[in-house]
Amino acid sequence: MQSLLGEIAAAASSWVELRYHARRSKRLVVRNGKVEESSSIDLIGVGVRSFVGGAFGFASTTDLSRAGIERAVGIAQNTAAATARAKRNRSTGLAVVDLARGTFPLQTDDPLENHSLEEKLELVLKIDAQIRSSNDCVVSSEATYAEMLDEKVIVTSDGASAHIFDAKPALRVLAIAERDGDQTRALETLGVTGGWSELFAPRAPEEMAERVIRLAVDQLSAKRPTGGVAQVILDPELVGVLSHEAIGHTVEADFVLGGAITAGKLGVQIASELVTMCDSGASEHVPHAVGETLVDDEGVPAARTVIIEDGVLRSYLHNRETAAHFAVPPTGNARAYTYSDEPLVRMTNTYIEPGETKLEDLFASMGDGYYLRGFGASGQADSNAEFMFGVREAWRVHDGRITERVRGVTISGNAFETLLSVDAVSDDFRWEQGAGYCGKGQPAKVDGGGPHVRCTLMIGGEQSD
Amino acid sequence: MTSHSLLDRCREAVSLACRLGASAAEVFGQTVDSVNSTVEKNDLQISKSQFETAFGIRAFVGGRVGFTSTNNVEQIQSACRDAVALAKASPEDPHNVLPEAVPAPPINNLYDSAAETFAAADAVQRMADMLSLAESIDRRVILNDAWFGAVVREVTIANSSGLALWERGSLFTYGVIATAREGARVSSFDFQFGATRTVAQIDVDTPIRRVCENALASLGAERGESFRGPVLLSPNAVSEILIGTLLFQLNARDNLRGRTRWKDALGSHVAVPELTLTDDGRLPGGVATASFDREGVPHRPLTLIRDGVLTSLLHNTYTAHATRSKNTGHALGSARSVPSIGPTNLAILPGNASVDDLLSDMQRGLLVRRFSGNVDPISGDFSGAVKAAHLIERGRLTHAVSGTLIAGNVFDALKSLSGISESREHVYNLTLPYVRLENVSVTAD
Repeated sequence: MQSLLGEIAAAASSWVELRYHARRSKRLVVRNGKVEESSSIDLIGVGVRSFVGGAFGFASTTDLSRAGIERAVGIAQNTAAATARAKRNRSTGLAVVDLARGTFPLQTDDPLENHSLEEKLELVLKIDAQIRSSNDCVVSSEATYAEMLDEKVIVTSDGASAHIFDAKPALRVLAIAERDGDQTRALETLGVTGGWSELFAPRAPEEMAERVIRLAVDQLSAKRPTGGVAQVILDPELVGVLSHEAIGHTVEADFVLGGAITAGKLGVQIASELVTMCDSGASEHVPHAVGETLVDDEGVPAARTVIIEDGVLRSYLHNRETAAHFAVPPTGNARAYTYSDEPLVRMTNTYIEPGETKLEDLFASMGDGYYLRGFGASGQADSNAEFMFGVREAWRVHDGRITERVRGVTISGNAFETLLSVDAVSDDFRWEQGAGYCGKGQPAKVDGGGPHVRCTLMIGGEQSD
Repeated sequence: MTSHSLLDRCREAVSLACRLGASAAEVFGQTVDSVNSTVEKNDLQISKSQFETAFGIRAFVGGRVGFTSTNNVEQIQSACRDAVALAKASPEDPHNVLPEAVPAPPINNLYDSAAETFAAADAVQRMADMLSLAESIDRRVILNDAWFGAVVREVTIANSSGLALWERGSLFTYGVIATAREGARVSSFDFQFGATRTVAQIDVDTPIRRVCENALASLGAERGESFRGPVLLSPNAVSEILIGTLLFQLNARDNLRGRTRWKDALGSHVAVPELTLTDDGRLPGGVATASFDREGVPHRPLTLIRDGVLTSLLHNTYTAHATRSKNTGHALGSARSVPSIGPTNLAILPGNASVDDLLSDMQRGLLVRRFSGNVDPISGDFSGAVKAAHLIERGRLTHAVSGTLIAGNVFDALKSLSGISESREHVYNLTLPYVRLENVSVTAD
């Protein structure tokens, strides 16, 4: 396939990018002891992007013959030409960069293919049973295993020729508890780039089950917080969510050009000096982050991009087109979900660098506030960096000590005001968003994480009058 | 691939799966032929064409079931083999059965032949029209994202009970996400959407005019107030706050899982008597209109909540068999997914008040056009930020507010809501009125 794509690209009358992508996904879902899904999905095709007259066109095909791919090239070129005729600001082109060539294998000691379907099914049945049999209050259980194995060949007419292998397994564990008609829900997830043993390196599946049981039951007796501004400690998962959702999207260069709040602010202090935030296609600090992207879908090798350095905005995230616009090198952030998707500017692994303060000292030097752990069911952030996130677990902190659990917590505010309020950053680090997806017209596996961070923001709660 | 050969492929795959060891089998085939054009940052971006054929295979071995999907016609045989292998590895469940083969009366006007010649260049032109209109309304408006898409979709389903169905439809969808910017002030995002089955009925003007109006209205947002009181939800906000929980509670599979509050509520009051909720998969011109569902069961109109009383859940074949209920034809999904359960064209029937009437009754309240937050479909608790919201005082809109959160409970809201508008809007496959909730907690920054 690599040589075929190379020949077609070389013969094309305009710049083209050809991406062969074969994906095999498996999903096993067990709820309340029943296997609700046992599925395998194969998706294979070639996506073609063409650049004609200052505009892009894209076509995809499942016909993998030379004629089929050449036909897709023609459609992409015609589509690009039609767009160019109506486009107001034609693109200046693509940034020149050393493009990836060669083979990029998956790093794992324990490939998923070495583990049978029966073994994976047995695991989810066992975890589901563990949750259901744990506590009289637990009324519903769920365990889901999912894996995604990718093989890609990326060839461009200006030199990329990369053969890439990737695997991303994930486990999701859920418990629902009920007492006197009141129901609570608790979720734990794991997801990595790698194999079977790497998936369970952070924690064993049995421990995940224990956690959701305890959380679902404990939440039944939790109270709701009082709404208002509060000092909080965010755990690495919420730090990752804040970094990705509330900051990361505002520094995606396509959004910057669309008027995101970060436009024109390179070099400006936008966060506390304690904050250094990065995005990296490699797994910094801890291996096997799920957003690992050794080569992006334009054939650009992975990079570590410092977005905020000591509180100062230093860089946006780029594909080759936006990099050319800003006259900077591309950052390896062009990503497409399947063969039929065009590459977009997407994050990979987005995080805040750890600081120097011990976690216990974050609490010890705090007065009253909240300790917030994990991302809740939903959330959203706007291009003006206003955000709202649900919180999975929360406790009141009184005089530096964790006291009672509260539930139904949301946090909101402006992400940059929140980052300016950061007054302590711990020295630990975790990736914590491995099982989820980012949505931006098409899904993407991304990770987020960091240390614990203490800051001030608004807690959503109840008003009495 | 012609429609005839698509259905033939499905039939052949059913036979093959049975020869490979399945006691029953179902094959769902689809072709998708689509073009779309996009705008970002007020300019045309990439335009796309896609053609794909895909097959979804369910193999049953007694009560065991496995599902595979492939978009490679050459791989159907191995996909059938894998589906049988997955089934054999799974535990028995007696409710894994196929539906009976029942004729599905065809629906007219699902397909516009003009869609066949609707090319990427046509989508580009429609997109350019949307952009020009927004600029002519107000240059402070930025179309952050907008799209125009045209799709022709053929679906077929064949199973070992003798079912063999085929249908073709065209759909044109267009949406826009916009902000307004004036100096350093940036408004909230607003989102509007439109859809139609025919080229002649494409109307990109309405969503563009609405998105401009709402984005501009939230540009001068001021600090809000904290209080507990009434909140008037726009159809978009009704969709974001109420519909997810309603659909979770109405999903027979979630009821079987024991997760829902309404698991024993059929025949009970779950809402005020003014509320009636319907679903109609045969609605003329509806976005989700089709003569049969993902399992080949015919669609038909259904009342889910009548005058506040829960009258039916949404069923597919599994849940109907497990609960000995009538199959309502709500299997949802594509060739790439196992049949789940979901609505078709869902609607809250209109009330008898105008939106102005609903506003004029409010001494102090909030008009919410968009909601960004958590809604827990199990507890019904919702909490989150309001967008493009206006404070209401003495029955009048005063000013736009920012940094304001609302919190409440969907179940309480359904039983205490105090008004439903007579006017309704389409939100993709939903037809929704304005709804006024009472006793909502409002917290200002």
